[in-house]
Amino acid sequence: MSQNDDNDFLTGPVPEPDAEPTAAERAHAKTFADLVDKTLAGRTPPAMSADDRALLEMATVIRAASGKVSLPEATQRSLVEDALRQAVGGAGAKDVVPITRGRTRRWAPWAIATTSTLVAAAAVIALVVRTPARPAAPGAAAAALPTEWTSRPADSLFGPISHDRAGDASTRIDTIFADRLDGYRERELGRRVK
Amino acid sequence: MKYVLCLLVLIVTACSCNSPSEPPPTTHTAEPADAIDQNLMIALSKAKNFHHKAKVYMSDGNVAAAIASVREILSLQFPAGAPEAEDVRNDARALLAKLLLGQGQLDEAMSVVTEGIAGSQRKSFFVANLYTVKGEIHEARAALVADDKAKATAEKHAAIEAYDASNAIDTELQKQLMESK
Repeated sequence: MSQNDDNDFLTGPVPEPDAEPTAAERAHAKTFADLVDKTLAGRTPPAMSADDRALLEMATVIRAASGKVSLPEATQRSLVEDALRQAVGGAGAKDVVPITRGRTRRWAPWAIATTSTLVAAAAVIALVVRTPARPAAPGAAAAALPTEWTSRPADSLFGPISHDRAGDASTRIDTIFADRLDGYRERELGRRVK
Repeated sequence: MKYVLCLLVLIVTACSCNSPSEPPPTTHTAEPADAIDQNLMIALSKAKNFHHKAKVYMSDGNVAAAIASVREILSLQFPAGAPEAEDVRNDARALLAKLLLGQGQLDEAMSVVTEGIAGSQRKSFFVANLYTVKGEIHEARAALVADDKAKATAEKHAAIEAYDASNAIDTELQKQLMESK
Protein backbone atom coordinates (compact mmCIF):
# COMPACT_ATOMS: atom_id res chain seq x y z
CA MET A 1 0.00 0.00 0.00
CA SER A 2 1.21 3.52 -0.67
CA GLN A 3 2.40 5.65 2.22
CA ASN A 4 0.55 8.88 1.32
CA ASP A 5 -1.34 11.05 3.71
CA ASP A 6 -4.63 9.25 3.11
CA ASN A 7 -3.27 6.18 4.78
CA ASP A 8 -1.79 7.98 7.75
CA PHE A 9 -4.70 7.83 10.16
CA LEU A 10 -2.74 8.95 13.19
CA THR A 11 -0.61 11.91 12.02
CA GLY A 12 -1.92 12.85 8.53
CA PRO A 13 -4.13 15.90 7.97
CA VAL A 14 -7.85 15.35 8.26
CA PRO A 15 -9.64 16.60 5.09
CA GLU A 16 -12.64 18.85 5.33
CA PRO A 17 -16.00 17.00 5.24
CA ASP A 18 -17.16 18.86 2.13
CA ALA A 19 -13.79 18.75 0.39
CA GLU A 20 -13.63 17.09 -3.03
CA PRO A 21 -11.89 13.68 -2.94
CA THR A 22 -8.45 13.72 -4.33
CA ALA A 23 -7.29 11.48 -7.12
CA ALA A 24 -5.29 9.44 -4.60
CA GLU A 25 -8.38 8.97 -2.46
CA ARG A 26 -10.42 7.83 -5.46
CA ALA A 27 -7.72 5.34 -6.41
CA HIS A 28 -7.55 4.06 -2.86
CA ALA A 29 -11.32 3.65 -2.70
CA LYS A 30 -11.31 1.82 -6.02
CA THR A 31 -8.62 -0.53 -4.83
CA PHE A 32 -10.47 -1.24 -1.57
CA ALA A 33 -13.74 -1.84 -3.44
CA ASP A 34 -12.01 -4.39 -5.62
CA LEU A 35 -10.58 -6.00 -2.51
CA VAL A 36 -14.04 -6.27 -0.91
CA ASP A 37 -15.55 -7.73 -4.09
CA LYS A 38 -12.80 -10.34 -4.33
CA THR A 39 -13.24 -11.28 -0.68
CA LEU A 40 -17.01 -11.72 -1.10
CA ALA A 41 -16.36 -13.80 -4.20
CA GLY A 42 -14.07 -16.06 -2.17
CA ARG A 43 -10.88 -14.79 -3.73
CA THR A 44 -9.33 -13.06 -0.73
CA PRO A 45 -5.76 -11.85 -1.51
CA PRO A 46 -3.20 -13.82 0.47
CA ALA A 47 -1.45 -10.65 1.73
CA MET A 48 -2.65 -7.14 2.61
CA SER A 49 -1.85 -4.42 5.06
CA ALA A 50 -3.18 -4.58 8.60
CA ASP A 51 -5.29 -1.48 7.97
CA ASP A 52 -6.84 -2.95 4.85
CA ARG A 53 -7.52 -6.27 6.68
CA ALA A 54 -9.27 -4.40 9.52
CA LEU A 55 -11.35 -2.43 7.05
CA LEU A 56 -12.16 -5.56 5.07
CA GLU A 57 -13.38 -7.43 8.18
CA MET A 58 -15.51 -4.43 9.14
CA ALA A 59 -17.01 -4.29 5.68
CA THR A 60 -17.79 -8.02 5.80
CA VAL A 61 -19.49 -7.72 9.20
CA ILE A 62 -21.56 -4.73 8.06
CA ARG A 63 -22.69 -6.59 4.94
CA ALA A 64 -23.63 -9.71 6.89
CA ALA A 65 -25.51 -7.64 9.50
CA SER A 66 -27.56 -5.99 6.77
CA GLY A 67 -29.13 -9.40 6.03
CA LYS A 68 -27.89 -9.66 2.52
CA VAL A 69 -25.75 -12.67 3.37
CA SER A 70 -27.40 -15.94 4.40
CA LEU A 71 -25.99 -19.37 5.12
CA PRO A 72 -27.22 -22.48 3.34
CA GLU A 73 -30.10 -24.21 5.20
CA ALA A 74 -28.03 -27.30 6.02
CA THR A 75 -25.33 -25.11 7.47
CA GLN A 76 -27.83 -23.13 9.52
CA ARG A 77 -29.41 -26.33 10.92
CA SER A 78 -26.01 -27.74 11.71
CA LEU A 79 -25.03 -24.57 13.55
CA VAL A 80 -28.29 -24.53 15.59
CA GLU A 81 -27.96 -28.19 16.50
CA ASP A 82 -24.37 -27.68 17.51
CA ALA A 83 -25.43 -24.79 19.70
CA LEU A 84 -28.20 -26.85 21.30
CA ARG A 85 -25.86 -29.75 21.82
CA GLN A 86 -23.45 -27.49 23.61
CA ALA A 87 -26.30 -26.00 25.64
CA VAL A 88 -27.54 -29.34 27.03
CA GLY A 89 -24.08 -30.60 27.75
CA GLY A 90 -21.80 -33.10 26.21
CA ALA A 91 -23.26 -36.27 27.77
CA GLY A 92 -26.82 -35.71 26.57
CA ALA A 93 -25.81 -34.13 23.33
CA LYS A 94 -26.87 -37.19 21.39
CA ASP A 95 -30.45 -36.82 22.73
CA VAL A 96 -30.95 -33.44 21.14
CA VAL A 97 -33.91 -33.70 18.80
CA PRO A 98 -33.42 -32.36 15.33
CA ILE A 99 -35.70 -29.47 14.39
CA THR A 100 -37.66 -31.56 11.87
CA ARG A 101 -38.34 -34.34 14.39
CA GLY A 102 -39.29 -31.82 17.06
CA ARG A 103 -42.24 -30.78 14.98
CA THR A 104 -43.58 -34.33 15.14
CA ARG A 105 -42.99 -34.47 18.87
CA ARG A 106 -44.97 -31.28 19.30
CA TRP A 107 -48.04 -32.95 17.78
CA ALA A 108 -47.73 -36.18 19.77
CA PRO A 109 -49.57 -34.95 22.92
CA TRP A 110 -52.38 -33.65 20.76
CA ALA A 111 -52.72 -36.97 18.99
CA ILE A 112 -52.68 -38.91 22.28
CA ALA A 113 -55.22 -36.56 23.87
CA THR A 114 -57.52 -36.79 20.86
CA THR A 115 -57.33 -40.57 20.76
CA SER A 116 -58.04 -40.82 24.48
CA THR A 117 -61.05 -38.53 24.12
CA LEU A 118 -62.45 -40.60 21.28
CA VAL A 119 -61.99 -43.85 23.22
CA ALA A 120 -63.66 -42.40 26.32
CA ALA A 121 -66.52 -41.01 24.24
CA ALA A 122 -66.99 -44.38 22.58
CA ALA A 123 -67.11 -46.03 26.00
CA VAL A 124 -69.78 -43.59 27.19
CA ILE A 125 -71.85 -44.14 24.04
CA ALA A 126 -71.53 -47.90 24.45
CA LEU A 127 -72.74 -47.63 28.04
CA VAL A 128 -75.72 -45.53 27.02
CA VAL A 129 -76.90 -47.38 23.93
CA ARG A 130 -76.16 -50.94 24.82
CA THR A 131 -79.17 -53.19 25.36
CA PRO A 132 -79.74 -53.82 29.06
CA ALA A 133 -79.97 -57.35 30.26
CA ARG A 134 -83.63 -58.18 30.38
CA PRO A 135 -85.07 -59.87 33.42
CA ALA A 136 -86.84 -63.13 32.94
CA ALA A 137 -90.32 -62.67 31.58
CA PRO A 138 -92.97 -63.00 34.29
CA GLY A 139 -94.90 -65.37 32.08
CA ALA A 140 -92.00 -67.79 32.00
CA ALA A 141 -91.81 -67.89 35.78
CA ALA A 142 -95.57 -68.21 36.07
CA ALA A 143 -95.54 -71.16 33.72
CA ALA A 144 -93.42 -73.05 36.21
CA LEU A 145 -95.72 -72.13 39.09
CA PRO A 146 -98.31 -74.77 40.11
CA THR A 147 -101.86 -73.74 39.27
CA GLU A 148 -102.86 -74.05 42.93
CA TRP A 149 -100.42 -71.26 43.79
CA THR A 150 -101.78 -68.79 41.28
CA SER A 151 -104.56 -66.23 41.39
CA ARG A 152 -107.22 -67.51 38.97
CA PRO A 153 -110.97 -67.61 38.28
CA ALA A 154 -113.00 -69.41 40.92
CA ASP A 155 -115.35 -71.14 38.46
CA SER A 156 -113.72 -74.54 38.79
CA LEU A 157 -114.50 -74.59 42.53
CA PHE A 158 -118.26 -74.50 42.02
CA GLY A 159 -119.52 -75.23 38.56
CA PRO A 160 -122.92 -73.82 37.63
CA ILE A 161 -124.69 -72.09 40.53
CA SER A 162 -128.18 -73.44 40.97
CA HIS A 163 -131.18 -71.15 41.20
CA ASP A 164 -131.87 -71.96 44.85
CA ARG A 165 -128.22 -71.20 45.78
CA ALA A 166 -128.06 -67.90 43.89
CA GLY A 167 -127.82 -65.86 47.10
CA ASP A 168 -125.49 -68.23 48.95
CA ALA A 169 -122.46 -66.06 48.38
CA SER A 170 -121.35 -66.46 51.99
CA THR A 171 -120.70 -70.17 51.54
CA ARG A 172 -118.92 -69.59 48.25
CA ILE A 173 -116.57 -66.96 49.63
CA ASP A 174 -115.62 -69.41 52.38
CA THR A 175 -114.74 -71.97 49.75
CA ILE A 176 -112.74 -69.50 47.68
CA PHE A 177 -110.85 -68.24 50.71
CA ALA A 178 -110.03 -71.75 51.94
CA ASP A 179 -108.80 -72.85 48.53
CA ARG A 180 -106.57 -69.81 48.02
CA LEU A 181 -105.26 -70.04 51.55
CA ASP A 182 -104.11 -73.61 50.87
CA GLY A 183 -102.23 -72.48 47.78
CA TYR A 184 -100.75 -69.48 49.56
CA ARG A 185 -99.54 -71.62 52.48
CA GLU A 186 -98.04 -74.24 50.20
CA ARG A 187 -96.18 -71.60 48.28
CA GLU A 188 -94.91 -69.80 51.35
CA LEU A 189 -93.85 -73.02 53.07
CA GLY A 190 -92.20 -74.26 49.91
CA ARG A 191 -90.17 -71.06 49.64
CA ARG A 192 -89.08 -71.27 53.29
CA VAL A 193 -87.98 -74.91 52.91
CA LYS A 194 -85.83 -73.92 49.94
CA MET B 1 -55.93 -25.58 24.02
CA LYS B 2 -53.90 -28.65 24.90
CA TYR B 3 -54.85 -28.27 28.55
CA VAL B 4 -58.52 -27.86 27.65
CA LEU B 5 -58.37 -31.12 25.69
CA CYS B 6 -56.70 -32.89 28.60
CA LEU B 7 -59.42 -31.59 30.93
CA LEU B 8 -62.08 -32.86 28.55
CA VAL B 9 -60.47 -36.30 28.58
CA LEU B 10 -60.52 -36.33 32.37
CA ILE B 11 -64.18 -35.28 32.51
CA VAL B 12 -65.29 -37.84 29.94
CA THR B 13 -63.30 -40.57 31.68
CA ALA B 14 -64.82 -39.61 35.01
CA CYS B 15 -68.29 -39.74 33.50
CA SER B 16 -67.53 -43.20 32.16
CA CYS B 17 -66.45 -44.35 35.60
CA ASN B 18 -69.53 -42.91 37.28
CA SER B 19 -72.03 -44.26 34.78
CA PRO B 20 -74.55 -46.60 36.35
CA SER B 21 -73.20 -50.02 35.77
CA GLU B 22 -75.16 -53.20 35.93
CA PRO B 23 -75.99 -54.31 39.43
CA PRO B 24 -74.00 -57.23 40.69
CA PRO B 25 -75.62 -60.52 39.79
CA THR B 26 -77.90 -61.68 42.53
CA THR B 27 -80.18 -64.65 42.71
CA HIS B 28 -83.86 -63.79 43.00
CA THR B 29 -86.71 -66.16 43.46
CA ALA B 30 -89.39 -65.77 40.84
CA GLU B 31 -92.28 -63.56 41.93
CA PRO B 32 -94.89 -64.07 39.22
CA ALA B 33 -97.51 -61.37 38.99
CA ASP B 34 -100.33 -63.93 39.19
CA ALA B 35 -99.10 -65.77 42.26
CA ILE B 36 -101.37 -65.82 45.29
CA ASP B 37 -99.98 -63.17 47.58
CA GLN B 38 -100.73 -61.59 50.90
CA ASN B 39 -102.78 -58.77 49.38
CA LEU B 40 -105.13 -61.22 47.68
CA MET B 41 -105.56 -63.18 50.90
CA ILE B 42 -106.30 -60.01 52.85
CA ALA B 43 -108.95 -58.92 50.32
CA LEU B 44 -110.57 -62.36 50.34
CA SER B 45 -110.50 -62.42 54.13
CA LYS B 46 -112.25 -59.05 54.30
CA ALA B 47 -114.90 -60.17 51.81
CA LYS B 48 -115.45 -63.31 53.85
CA ASN B 49 -115.89 -61.29 57.03
CA PHE B 50 -118.32 -58.84 55.40
CA HIS B 51 -120.42 -61.79 54.18
CA HIS B 52 -120.49 -63.31 57.65
CA LYS B 53 -121.30 -59.95 59.15
CA ALA B 54 -124.23 -59.60 56.73
CA LYS B 55 -125.35 -63.11 57.63
CA VAL B 56 -125.41 -62.18 61.31
CA TYR B 57 -127.42 -59.03 60.54
CA MET B 58 -129.86 -61.07 58.45
CA SER B 59 -130.26 -63.60 61.21
CA ASP B 60 -131.14 -60.68 63.43
CA GLY B 61 -133.62 -59.31 60.88
CA ASN B 62 -131.53 -56.19 60.20
CA VAL B 63 -131.60 -56.34 56.42
CA ALA B 64 -130.53 -52.72 55.94
CA ALA B 65 -127.32 -53.35 57.89
CA ALA B 66 -126.82 -56.58 55.96
CA ILE B 67 -127.15 -54.67 52.68
CA ALA B 68 -124.63 -52.08 53.87
CA SER B 69 -122.20 -54.82 54.84
CA VAL B 70 -122.48 -56.52 51.45
CA ARG B 71 -121.98 -53.16 49.71
CA GLU B 72 -118.64 -52.87 51.48
CA ILE B 73 -117.42 -55.87 49.49
CA LEU B 74 -117.90 -53.97 46.23
CA SER B 75 -115.35 -51.36 47.28
CA LEU B 76 -112.64 -53.75 48.49
CA GLN B 77 -109.17 -53.31 46.97
CA PHE B 78 -107.91 -56.48 45.29
CA PRO B 79 -104.51 -56.90 43.61
CA ALA B 80 -104.60 -55.57 40.06
CA GLY B 81 -105.77 -58.18 37.58
CA ALA B 82 -106.76 -60.78 40.16
CA PRO B 83 -109.63 -62.83 38.62
CA GLU B 84 -111.00 -63.54 42.08
CA ALA B 85 -111.90 -59.86 42.46
CA GLU B 86 -114.52 -59.99 39.69
CA ASP B 87 -115.92 -63.29 40.92
CA VAL B 88 -116.24 -62.13 44.53
CA ARG B 89 -117.81 -58.80 43.55
CA ASN B 90 -120.30 -60.43 41.18
CA ASP B 91 -121.30 -62.91 43.88
CA ALA B 92 -121.75 -60.04 46.35
CA ARG B 93 -123.88 -58.22 43.75
CA ALA B 94 -126.07 -61.30 43.38
CA LEU B 95 -126.62 -61.43 47.14
CA LEU B 96 -127.13 -57.67 47.34
CA ALA B 97 -129.71 -57.77 44.54
CA LYS B 98 -131.60 -60.55 46.28
CA LEU B 99 -131.60 -58.59 49.55
CA LEU B 100 -132.86 -55.48 47.71
CA LEU B 101 -135.45 -57.62 45.94
CA GLY B 102 -136.66 -58.86 49.31
CA GLN B 103 -136.98 -55.24 50.38
CA GLY B 104 -139.07 -54.44 47.29
CA GLN B 105 -136.34 -52.21 45.80
CA LEU B 106 -136.61 -53.73 42.35
CA ASP B 107 -135.06 -50.91 40.37
CA GLU B 108 -132.08 -50.71 42.72
CA ALA B 109 -131.72 -54.49 42.53
CA MET B 110 -131.81 -54.41 38.74
CA SER B 111 -129.25 -51.64 38.71
CA VAL B 112 -126.87 -53.67 40.88
CA VAL B 113 -127.21 -56.69 38.60
CA THR B 114 -126.89 -54.92 35.27
CA GLU B 115 -123.84 -52.99 36.47
CA GLY B 116 -122.22 -56.29 37.42
CA ILE B 117 -122.98 -57.89 34.07
CA ALA B 118 -121.79 -54.86 32.12
CA GLY B 119 -118.57 -54.55 34.11
CA SER B 120 -117.52 -58.17 33.78
CA GLN B 121 -114.45 -58.87 31.67
CA ARG B 122 -115.17 -62.56 31.08
CA LYS B 123 -117.92 -65.12 31.25
CA SER B 124 -118.13 -66.97 34.54
CA PHE B 125 -120.55 -68.95 36.67
CA PHE B 126 -120.86 -65.79 38.77
CA VAL B 127 -121.98 -63.79 35.75
CA ALA B 128 -124.43 -66.56 34.93
CA ASN B 129 -125.68 -66.29 38.51
CA LEU B 130 -126.24 -62.55 37.99
CA TYR B 131 -128.42 -63.38 34.94
CA THR B 132 -130.34 -65.79 37.16
CA VAL B 133 -130.97 -63.06 39.73
CA LYS B 134 -131.87 -60.69 36.91
CA GLY B 135 -134.53 -63.23 35.82
CA GLU B 136 -135.88 -63.29 39.34
CA ILE B 137 -136.15 -59.48 39.35
CA HIS B 138 -138.04 -59.55 36.03
CA GLU B 139 -140.37 -62.17 37.49
CA ALA B 140 -140.96 -59.93 40.48
CA ARG B 141 -141.67 -56.99 38.16
CA ALA B 142 -144.08 -59.12 36.16
CA ALA B 143 -145.92 -59.95 39.36
CA LEU B 144 -146.10 -56.27 40.24
CA VAL B 145 -147.63 -55.30 36.89
CA ALA B 146 -149.91 -58.29 36.59
CA ASP B 147 -152.84 -56.00 35.90
CA ASP B 148 -151.05 -54.64 32.85
CA LYS B 149 -150.91 -57.76 30.73
CA ALA B 150 -148.59 -56.34 28.12
CA LYS B 151 -146.03 -55.13 30.69
CA ALA B 152 -146.30 -58.35 32.60
CA THR B 153 -145.71 -60.35 29.45
CA ALA B 154 -142.70 -58.23 28.56
CA GLU B 155 -141.21 -58.74 32.01
CA LYS B 156 -141.79 -62.47 31.79
CA HIS B 157 -140.09 -62.58 28.40
CA ALA B 158 -137.19 -60.64 29.86
CA ALA B 159 -137.01 -63.11 32.72
CA ILE B 160 -136.89 -66.03 30.27
CA GLU B 161 -134.15 -64.30 28.29
CA ALA B 162 -132.12 -63.76 31.46
CA TYR B 163 -132.48 -67.40 32.50
CA ASP B 164 -131.53 -68.51 29.00
CA ALA B 165 -128.47 -66.28 29.09
CA SER B 166 -127.49 -67.80 32.41
CA ASN B 167 -127.91 -71.32 31.08
CA ALA B 168 -125.94 -70.53 27.95
CA ILE B 169 -122.99 -69.29 29.97
CA ASP B 170 -123.17 -72.27 32.31
CA THR B 171 -123.23 -74.68 29.37
CA GLU B 172 -120.31 -73.02 27.65
CA LEU B 173 -118.17 -72.88 30.79
CA GLN B 174 -119.02 -76.40 31.86
CA LYS B 175 -117.99 -77.63 28.43
CA GLN B 176 -114.70 -75.81 28.76
CA LEU B 177 -114.12 -77.27 32.19
CA MET B 178 -114.82 -80.79 30.94
CA GLU B 179 -112.43 -80.33 28.03
CA SER B 180 -109.67 -79.02 30.27
CA LYS B 181 -109.87 -82.05 32.63
